[in-house]
Amino acid sequence: MSRLRAIPRQHLVAGVCLLALLLYPVINPWQPYPQGVMLLGFMLAIQASSWNIISGFAGYISLGHSMFLGLGSYTVAICALAWGVNPLWLMPLGGVTAVVAALLIGSVVLRTSGHAFVIITIAMLLAAQILAVNFKGLTQGSDGITLELPFWSRDYQNIPFYYIFLGLLVLTVLYTAWIRRTKFGTGLIAIREDEGKAASIGVNTTRFKIVGYAASAFFIGVAGGVYAYYLTFLNPVGSFAILGSVVIVLAALTGGKGTLYGPVVGAFIVQLASEAATVYGGSSQTRVLLFGAALVAVVLFMPAGLLPTIEARWRKRHPVTIEFTDQAGALGRSPATTRERALEDVAQAVADDLTQGEVLLEVRGASKSFGGLVAVDNASLTVRKGTITGLIGPNGSGKTTLFNLITGGMAADSGEIYLEGQRIDKMPPWQRGHLGLGRTFQVTRLFKDMTVQENVVAPLPDSRWRTMFADAVSGHEAARAGELLDIVGLRRFAGERAGDLSYGQQKLVELAQVLMLEPRLILLDEPAGGVNPSLLGRLTEVIRELNQRGITFLVVEHNIPLVLELCDPVVVFSRGRSIAEGPPGTIREDPVVLDAYLGDDWRPVPDGKAPNTVQTANQMGAR
Amino acid sequence: MTQLVQALVLGLLIGGVYALMASGLALIFGVMKIINIAQGALLILVAMFTWWMWRETGIDPILASVVTTPLMFGFGWILYRVVISRIRDQSASMSVLLTFGFALVVEGVLNVVAGNKFRSATPSYFEESFRVGSVSLPKTQVYGFVAAVIVLAALYLVLTRTWTGRAIRATSQNPSGAALVGVGAAGTAALAFALGTATTGVGGSILSVLYPFFPASHYDWISRLLGIVVLGGMGSLPGAMVGALILGLAETLTATYGGLRWSTLVFYLVIMLVLLFRPQGLFGAKLREDAA
Repeated sequence: MSRLRAIPRQHLVAGVCLLALLLYPVINPWQPYPQGVMLLGFMLAIQASSWNIISGFAGYISLGHSMFLGLGSYTVAICALAWGVNPLWLMPLGGVTAVVAALLIGSVVLRTSGHAFVIITIAMLLAAQILAVNFKGLTQGSDGITLELPFWSRDYQNIPFYYIFLGLLVLTVLYTAWIRRTKFGTGLIAIREDEGKAASIGVNTTRFKIVGYAASAFFIGVAGGVYAYYLTFLNPVGSFAILGSVVIVLAALTGGKGTLYGPVVGAFIVQLASEAATVYGGSSQTRVLLFGAALVAVVLFMPAGLLPTIEARWRKRHPVTIEFTDQAGALGRSPATTRERALEDVAQAVADDLTQGEVLLEVRGASKSFGGLVAVDNASLTVRKGTITGLIGPNGSGKTTLFNLITGGMAADSGEIYLEGQRIDKMPPWQRGHLGLGRTFQVTRLFKDMTVQENVVAPLPDSRWRTMFADAVSGHEAARAGELLDIVGLRRFAGERAGDLSYGQQKLVELAQVLMLEPRLILLDEPAGGVNPSLLGRLTEVIRELNQRGITFLVVEHNIPLVLELCDPVVVFSRGRSIAEGPPGTIREDPVVLDAYLGDDWRPVPDGKAPNTVQTANQMGAR
Repeated sequence: MTQLVQALVLGLLIGGVYALMASGLALIFGVMKIINIAQGALLILVAMFTWWMWRETGIDPILASVVTTPLMFGFGWILYRVVISRIRDQSASMSVLLTFGFALVVEGVLNVVAGNKFRSATPSYFEESFRVGSVSLPKTQVYGFVAAVIVLAALYLVLTRTWTGRAIRATSQNPSGAALVGVGAAGTAALAFALGTATTGVGGSILSVLYPFFPASHYDWISRLLGIVVLGGMGSLPGAMVGALILGLAETLTATYGGLRWSTLVFYLVIMLVLLFRPQGLFGAKLREDAA
């Protein structure tokens, strides 16, 4: 009993429902009509759950997903006729065709972010229909294909199909649950929340999206093969119906897209409602109207879907208070030994052949302009291994743009960038991440709807498939995320939603997140901006500790006293290029630097009572 | 040779009509980042209305756009204010689903009211042609093209010469900047949406003469128009023009030399090919993305 209690409530409910569905034909065997309705519900649930992978997790809406059902049906039907085999043996082939089609389409339209995908999915569904009509030799055109009747005795009615579809549904749900648990699943959600940020933490967004699209096609294709056998007849208009796609979207949306059970629940609701509409409400013509109205209503009034809405209500009723502003807690230390061990692990991951002082990052003559504005102008910069290099300069001097050029958020117009002697400026952002380049953002860009733990697990330090499909919820990766949270002292918030943390805490989490990349060089964009003094103290301490263990830093910061205290050397940027470089002591006195910050009119008072230049510069910078 | 010239000219004429139909879609996407899937259904709605007016009063279907265009402008304005603006703060994908649902509602209503059968307006000149040398041009195509060009020119003038047009273009480039100089984003968005919808007034009237239609043919139309917009680069008006001409030509050339049943397929093939080599479309620009 106590072991049952340990299972989360939702899985328990799902298990009970499954048991009831398994027993149903046994208890009530002579009722073909309800069995037929349930069976179509299973099929819709398989499709909605699969759709959920690309459109719910990754946020790329597909409006043509019923295409995969048609592809599966046709593949299985054509092969079964040609080879004289029972269609049921061939159902995996339907899945294979669907995956191949998804890979082909995906590798054309999913290379960029944006809106072309949704459009192409509709177009491809219609194109598939035209193909099926036109390739008469293969598909028998509009006449359609007729298959043999099921081999079992009519006494069994559709009970075998009932169990096949139910089995496929269980497999589909387990499969989406597994995907959601892997780093692949976390990466898909990261893409939905902030695609640019995802790329910067080593998520190969192109590969993730294409694989996600293919993964969302497989079980629909398999189900399509069975469906063809169930109907024993298929034609282009029925197999590639746009209304089929509408129902998939409606089901997933109603139940809650992005959740595990939402699409399944939604599928049963939509299936039963649609059945009721057919029985009580007239023709199939009115179904279009009903589905359309339902879609509009769900988008307008319950965009999150049923399960998330219920969950939010539940949370409101049963609030759990968390003391986010508890300074002692936030600053509190984890047991010193675990923290020490975590830091040593970081040191080990960073270990490389470079000795202190060798060139780690080199920017040669990089330029970037936006229209007429030259943001970075033939800039060069060198960062040596083991340093905390500071990068200061007035607002608009091109520091953040330079960061973007280095990490690949933008492409430089000209110039070259090298990391450990390897040219990186033509690489996509994730590949630079895999080489050990990490960054934080001026305004933190955590994935706000993920937990803190998921945020830290999300980054991928390399491009291996093994890493991509590693377990993100338990095991090595999760343990490592916990260790990294120990380093910044925030492990006790691991289960909280990242967006609920204070701004300073989010900055610390973002640092832990970058550490997951096993970086050699971390670019910090204004780490101190908007952070209260005590958290800032913790932040600088962590930076120092990491630096001692071999991580190099490049820091953009306006808090000049902090830079002068923390960084050596300091590089000064003005008008898109560096104008001075040296140890903080020299920079503090450099007249060129003072000019850049304070304008030409300002000169230190010649007598001994010179104003505190650092203070003044700080004020200017903080403006 | 004659066959080729015939195909090219016909492709151009069809392309012009496509350009008009796609311009509304491009305009709405450019300003609001909303993919209005309902645009196809609205075209069919207008075509049905035009057909009905033509049958009842005998008014010329293409001239009927004088009535349908202001009607659709008002319809678009109300649609935006009452429905679309409610999801302004949500992700773009929700707007796709919303307008898709709306398209289904329109289709369903037409199904119930008018029935699921093919219709086509056939004015007196329906089967006549202009002959230029050995090339024959169906009068319906020519009139449709002329109407489309007039409306596109008018749209161009509105966008470049009027305050409203400048406000729309400003909002499409930089909404917060436009707001700072006194251009209200919500009002401008409603205007742009209404303008984009108004193009279906003319487009639908032309459609009623040129193509037989029934309630569910909006899927054909919307996928064709969306294809044009993707080809040209999402939200770019000149891109939509060029994309429409390319696809009009591709379609008639295939129909002439390869058979009618492949012409729609070539349409999708061209789009995939362009996206393969230029993922952002023909005129799509990559904008500064760090402004987060």
